[in-house]
Amino acid sequence: MTGLAPLQTQTPLPDFIANALGLEGAAGAIVGALVGAFVIANILLVFSGIAGPWAKRKLTAAFTDRIAVNRIGPFGLLIIVADAVRLLSKENIIPEGVDRPAFDLAPIILPFSALLGFAVIPMGSGLHLADPETGLVFVFAVASIASIGVVMGGYASNNKYSMLGALRAVAMNIAYEIPLVITAASVVIFAGTLQMSEIVAVQAEPLVSFAGVAIPSWFAFVNPFAFALFLAANLAEIGRNPFDLAEAPNEIIGGYITEYSSVYFVLFFLGEFVHIFLGGAIIATVFLGGPAAPISSLSFIPGIVWFVIKIWSVFLFTQWARSAVPRMRIDQMIEVGWKGLLVLSFANLLLTAVIVGVLA
Amino acid sequence: MSTQTPTERPESDDRIALPDELAELLGDRVIGREEHLNAPGYVIRPDAVQDVLSTLKNEAGYDHLSCVTAQEYEDRYESIYHLKKFDDPTQEVSVVVPTDTGSPRSESAEPVFRTADWHEREAYDLIGIDYDDHPDLRRILLPETWQGHPLSLEYDRTRPQIVRFDENANPLESDTRSERDTDTMMLNIGPHHPATHGVMHLEATLDGEQVVDVEPDIGYIHRCEEQMCQSGTYRHQIMPYPDRWDWGGGGLLNEWAYARVAETLADIEVPEYAQVVRTMGAELSRILSHLLAVGAYALDVAGDFTATFMYAITERETVQNVLEDLTGQRLMFNYFRLGGVAWDLPEPREEFFERTRDFLDGFPRRLAEFHDLLTGNEIIQMRTVDTGVLPPEVAKDYGCTGPVLRGSGVDYDLRRDDPYGYYDELDWGVVTQESGDNFARLQVRLREMEESARIIEQCLDLLEGWPEADRSVQANVPRTIKPDDDTEVYTAVEAAKGELGIYVRADGTDEPARFKIRGPSFSNLQALPEMAEGELIPDMIASLGSLDIVLGSVDR
Repeated sequence: MTGLAPLQTQTPLPDFIANALGLEGAAGAIVGALVGAFVIANILLVFSGIAGPWAKRKLTAAFTDRIAVNRIGPFGLLIIVADAVRLLSKENIIPEGVDRPAFDLAPIILPFSALLGFAVIPMGSGLHLADPETGLVFVFAVASIASIGVVMGGYASNNKYSMLGALRAVAMNIAYEIPLVITAASVVIFAGTLQMSEIVAVQAEPLVSFAGVAIPSWFAFVNPFAFALFLAANLAEIGRNPFDLAEAPNEIIGGYITEYSSVYFVLFFLGEFVHIFLGGAIIATVFLGGPAAPISSLSFIPGIVWFVIKIWSVFLFTQWARSAVPRMRIDQMIEVGWKGLLVLSFANLLLTAVIVGVLA
Repeated sequence: MSTQTPTERPESDDRIALPDELAELLGDRVIGREEHLNAPGYVIRPDAVQDVLSTLKNEAGYDHLSCVTAQEYEDRYESIYHLKKFDDPTQEVSVVVPTDTGSPRSESAEPVFRTADWHEREAYDLIGIDYDDHPDLRRILLPETWQGHPLSLEYDRTRPQIVRFDENANPLESDTRSERDTDTMMLNIGPHHPATHGVMHLEATLDGEQVVDVEPDIGYIHRCEEQMCQSGTYRHQIMPYPDRWDWGGGGLLNEWAYARVAETLADIEVPEYAQVVRTMGAELSRILSHLLAVGAYALDVAGDFTATFMYAITERETVQNVLEDLTGQRLMFNYFRLGGVAWDLPEPREEFFERTRDFLDGFPRRLAEFHDLLTGNEIIQMRTVDTGVLPPEVAKDYGCTGPVLRGSGVDYDLRRDDPYGYYDELDWGVVTQESGDNFARLQVRLREMEESARIIEQCLDLLEGWPEADRSVQANVPRTIKPDDDTEVYTAVEAAKGELGIYVRADGTDEPARFKIRGPSFSNLQALPEMAEGELIPDMIASLGSLDIVLGSVDR
């Protein structure tokens, strides 16, 4: 615990690193930022490296009565290494007639847009790169860049299936992105700020207490309706069942990733997982009190642990949805987006505004 | 939802029954008579096909063109139209159309029966008969570059077919839209695509996501099954082949198709005990096939990581273990023999009965689970209700059979309507659904498994109580079977995917002179455009899945 204690300050990670290294001024800011970003990116790569090849297999297997990888290493964990070697050593096939450099840029945009979002996420234990006043807006803005990657990949691939996938992605994007942001806005009305650290801090206030145990005012408890809406819209954002239409292997083979192989495929694959975790991170920060412990008596456990538990819970939820919920049709998805989620999210926003207005 | 037990069946219409009355109806269009073992045959002129068939269809009620067989004799070509009634498939008639050897031309039956389209294309492809008035007479099973017609007499089987890659048609070249029509896009779905359930190619024209036009292109895994059966002996060498026409688990049902035709041909009486064993095995086989159909359908509609598929596979495992105990095989059973089955139930019998009963006891619960996951799921309902609608009249016109036809509300099941085996002694029902959409076909399959389980249960009861002295699994069948020259027979059974018919012409040797297979999926698949046009791509995939085609019986 003592080793972690300095990390549990509110100092952003780059400043902490700069201080620890004894650097000051511009050099300190640059080195701190780079090293901090490196640390955060590596944490995420480890997550998606495990989640991609191993946890996803194990989880879906558990959902579907199978065993999955168990031959290589304990619990099949070394499959991660085997998979990495396999995927990286494959030939990168670039089909004739693809539109370069869009074809090459797309797989880079997807994971990095998601990684960028983590810059403003307070992960607890001091792992927080930046805390701008517009943190929430920033995270939605960069997360949406991923759609550009999808469209670029789909359009540049010179493949009709990819094209269909990209078109679906665009249509879906408009349908779910607005409800997503509007629902988050209802939280902003509560919190009165867009700054991530402030949003987390507001949620630390006790909501009610039972027998001496204070339940924190996480927005998931304060406004469960908004939480449910956000979870649903988030499934669409990360493209998992019932909204995995942009890939829909049984219909359009792989959608926008049909033509990608080897390293490019790995980047897309990685991007999807980082994106799922970013979705989880946004949900954790905005609705589940960020890195805070659910009850104060458990707060001796470091914040990063709670944070990891929370984002992995969201990951588990997406895998559950994937195994159990059938896929919708594109027109039905659009209908759900425009006629369901959008209307409900506006209703939620208005209601929240009225309630907050009356109470305040 | 309606189920009928065999006893409740309404009397079939008695408009026409006697061969002479039919001859009278057809008048001087009949130029000769033939006698097939299953039906009277009327020989007509090649230019009267449409006239005769529409008379038979509209005035005599023969509304089911089950199969079109083409063959070449030394002195003539012949197309045989095997007609039945959906109301009563025991009322059959064969329309025989001989044509000259030189340039065989015959009138197409396509304007009367849509299903004749593909059947005649196959006849053209394999035998070489030209059909006038046919909308689209192209090769269907073989590549368009093929030289000669492989089942015709003068065909040189030793001649290699060497085709350079660029001589093959480029599928994109058929995309002949005008410059101004830039709204549509041609999409090749398959031959390698996750949802084609095998190697099949759909040429789809899309307007956005909407399917404007779709054309199945088949024949990728044509394996000369008819040819192979024609060079095998009746007694032993043909029976393993029918298993290969359905790798979805329906092997035993397919074996029965050959058993039935050969037993009719050689006049073999199957012992009652063997019939019960056959019936039980066949229904286990049907459950196997339907479970795969339902599970794979979940893949098509729900997505590729769905739990439903694995649940179906888990349940299949139990059935496969039972069938392995019984037949010694898990996929290609080869358990039926002419005159019975290969061997009796495995010893100790009690263990086999217990195992099978264990499966039957747990099955209703698993079926309820499938209903929860599929028919009870709102998203599945959104996806499947009112999509891929196949009206009953269209289904009949295309010769659809099996769960596809029953999903369109046509009460037609050969197990009850043209009984064989032990089915007519047992208490079970035919499942139909009125709506004819993707949901109906899914529901029919789920409900049919219940009925199959009922049949198996009754068979088990019978087998348990069967006196030991009376357990004869095979009739006395001669070592070599040589049916008389020029005996012709066409019979069908209710296979997992629908009506599986086999036509055999004997020539006095111990091998068939012509062996024609009517694969149920062949006719069912032909109806896909009717279901898919105007709908979205995902609906077309769902419709294709709901047809439950197996390309082994499409391409043969």
